[in-house]
Amino acid sequence: MTSVTEQADREFVDAACLALRAPTDGGDPLDALGWWDLLSELSDRDARAAALALFRAQGRELFGSAALGGLMAQPFLVATGLPPGSLVATVSRWSPRRGERLVVVGDVAGAALLIDRPGHGAAVVASDQVELHPVAVAGRLAMYEVELGPCIWTATVAERTAEPARARGRFLGRLAMALEILGAAEGALALAVAHAATREQFGQPIGAFQAVRHLLAWARTDCVALEAVTTVAVRLDEATPPRHDEIVKALAGRNGRRVCERALQVLGAIGFTTEHDHHHFHSRVLALDALLGTSAELTHALGAWFRETGTDPAAPAAVLLSE
Amino acid sequence: MLDMTSGNSRGSFRAEVPTYAAAVEAWLASRPAAFVAAARPVASYAERVAVTSDLMRVLFDEGWARYGWPEAVGGLGGDILHRAAMWEALARHGLPAMALFEHLEILAPTLVAMGDQDFVAGVLPRFLSGEERWSQGFSEPDAGSDLASARTRAVAVDGGYAITGRKIWTSWARYATWCLVLARTGTTQSRHRGLTAFAVDLRSPGVEVRAIEQANGTDELAEVTFDEVLVGPDRIVGERSGGWRVAMHILAHERGTFGWFRHGFLYRQLFDNLAQGSPSPAGDTLLGNALLDLAAVRASSHAGLRAHAAGAALGPQAAFVKLMLAAGEQAVNDWVLATDPDLAVGMQDDYVAVRRQDYLFSRIVTVYGGSQQMQLDTIAKQILRLP
Ligand SMILES: Cc1cc2nc3c(=O)[nH]c(=O)nc-3n(C[C@H](O)[C@H](O)[C@H](O)COP(=O)(O)OP(=O)(O)OC[C@H]3O[C@@H](n4cnc5c(N)ncnc54)[C@H](O)[C@@H]3O)c2cc1C
Repeated sequence: MTSVTEQADREFVDAACLALRAPTDGGDPLDALGWWDLLSELSDRDARAAALALFRAQGRELFGSAALGGLMAQPFLVATGLPPGSLVATVSRWSPRRGERLVVVGDVAGAALLIDRPGHGAAVVASDQVELHPVAVAGRLAMYEVELGPCIWTATVAERTAEPARARGRFLGRLAMALEILGAAEGALALAVAHAATREQFGQPIGAFQAVRHLLAWARTDCVALEAVTTVAVRLDEATPPRHDEIVKALAGRNGRRVCERALQVLGAIGFTTEHDHHHFHSRVLALDALLGTSAELTHALGAWFRETGTDPAAPAAVLLSE
Repeated sequence: MLDMTSGNSRGSFRAEVPTYAAAVEAWLASRPAAFVAAARPVASYAERVAVTSDLMRVLFDEGWARYGWPEAVGGLGGDILHRAAMWEALARHGLPAMALFEHLEILAPTLVAMGDQDFVAGVLPRFLSGEERWSQGFSEPDAGSDLASARTRAVAVDGGYAITGRKIWTSWARYATWCLVLARTGTTQSRHRGLTAFAVDLRSPGVEVRAIEQANGTDELAEVTFDEVLVGPDRIVGERSGGWRVAMHILAHERGTFGWFRHGFLYRQLFDNLAQGSPSPAGDTLLGNALLDLAAVRASSHAGLRAHAAGAALGPQAAFVKLMLAAGEQAVNDWVLATDPDLAVGMQDDYVAVRRQDYLFSRIVTVYGGSQQMQLDTIAKQILRLP
């Protein structure tokens, strides 16, 4: 039981981390990884695992790209006739102050935007038809709110076609976000572990104190839990039970935040500064938790759903055990 | 029913866990009497032991319980994935717990891997059929978390060893025929290096078992004293002075793969609580959290099963599963308590009494099998490699 991640999965993550870390010299690391080509092969288990491993690497390396929107738009490619990479999905979220907001992550210059309206279909809008306002949160996450003139939106994908594509896009998007949260949590934890080994107080490294050790051990446990759940979800894909993407995303938000909080406690005051990278990991986790359902919303909704329907929420044993 | 003697079906079943699982499911769907009896909530622990043992006998006779164990020791071949499928099916169909047969997944894998094969071939079938049960004699009054300080001694005598000492918190000893005893064959200072594991027949002269009443009413705990109890040399499990390795092998199962076996019954608890009355929506967030925690146990223990089936050793990573399982068990029972106050103040019919037993037990799951603090210590030291 060396790790819950299979060797191959780990190699995908390592390769993606390397590519994201390498000096860009103008080249796009996603192109270097052949990432966009993987989008047309998501039904293949290895291709899917490789495609999704990018997000864990993005979290660890604090890298930003338009991959999330590209992945969520993938189920709409056939209906829109667009090639992978040329369509990026916007994510709708609710602001208690300003109502519905559309968000895109990463540099979307030159791409068309998918603006999806549940119940009404989806529209493809050229990026020069909208205004992009950068969202200033830490996390080295290029994020924009999309402002769209009131009359521009007209459905180009009928609701009948959009509905299943939307569900699939959300499923993929939630898995991707969960993996990016995992990567960011791992990044935060790695900094805290290194800090615990070198920072001395009372004449010894703080990592020698049991209270500190236990904070870090809990944080690692939360990472391992999330790693295990995402690994199974990526592997099972459409064989996962109903609302499994919500379980994965809720767990990611909850565990991701817990890891960052414990790491912060271990870092002490330095972790609360912009001089230290912790805040980037932490902010990225918060931002991703806030999209496609917060862990608080999803956890409550999942409880209500199970109470009302009694639907079996567990990944089917027949599939898991026959692997 | 399967013809267990036909080479054909046997071969295909061994290769095909899903086929095996489906056959077990089909059998359970016919509601065999022994299963129905074992699935009923009963507050009396002695009665639960009896009905669960009856169920094991039927599972053995039908062949189901023999899959997943090597033929050389009385099984029908296959691996832990068969066992995982069987217990999952039993839980899904309404069995509330493995009860004392938890030791089939905690102790038996180590007996098979490290015990004298003739001895194991003699005892394993009787364990699988519920006829004989096993217990785990590690903890002592003065050796809890610090297991390496155990003082029970095994002294070499004519014909084997004489064991003298006191074990405590020995689950199911009062219902068991056997106890796997960790005893000191080295000096008092030898710590973990001087321990040897012995399979001790609890019917031997010099053994005394005293039941300990538990706060939740499921009286599984006992204190076992050994007064110059004679055991033969073939009753050593593993090597002489290799008891620590045996104990770690057992604990890796108890903390790692066992998560799979136990968590199925936690899902069972959720369904049972749903079926009884209508739980208040006030508990929805607690319930949602339980679903997240159980998903984590399922995925991580499944990884452990796969690793074990592939022949990999279960290492310190088992500590993660143990922590997640305890968190899951507590989360499930947090929801049960929040939505079923009867278990705290209501009339204790069998159903309510069992809820109460389960709830209270969930408060101690962070102690047995190595306390939560010990698991965290393991992770900090062996995985995070903190100073
Ligand atoms: C339901 C149940 C079933 C059990 N079944 C069995 C069985 O079948 N066979 C068997 O051999 N044993 C069994 N046990 C015993 C179990 O293994 C022990 O209870 C456990 O190892 C803890 O030992 P202890 O109870 O003596 O507590 P202690 O070791 O005295 O610990 C008490 C508290 O102090 C903490 N603590 C101790 N040392 C440290 C430290 N260094 N750092 C931080 N905190 C520390 C512990 O975490 C715990 O919270 C069972 C226990 C229970 C509750």
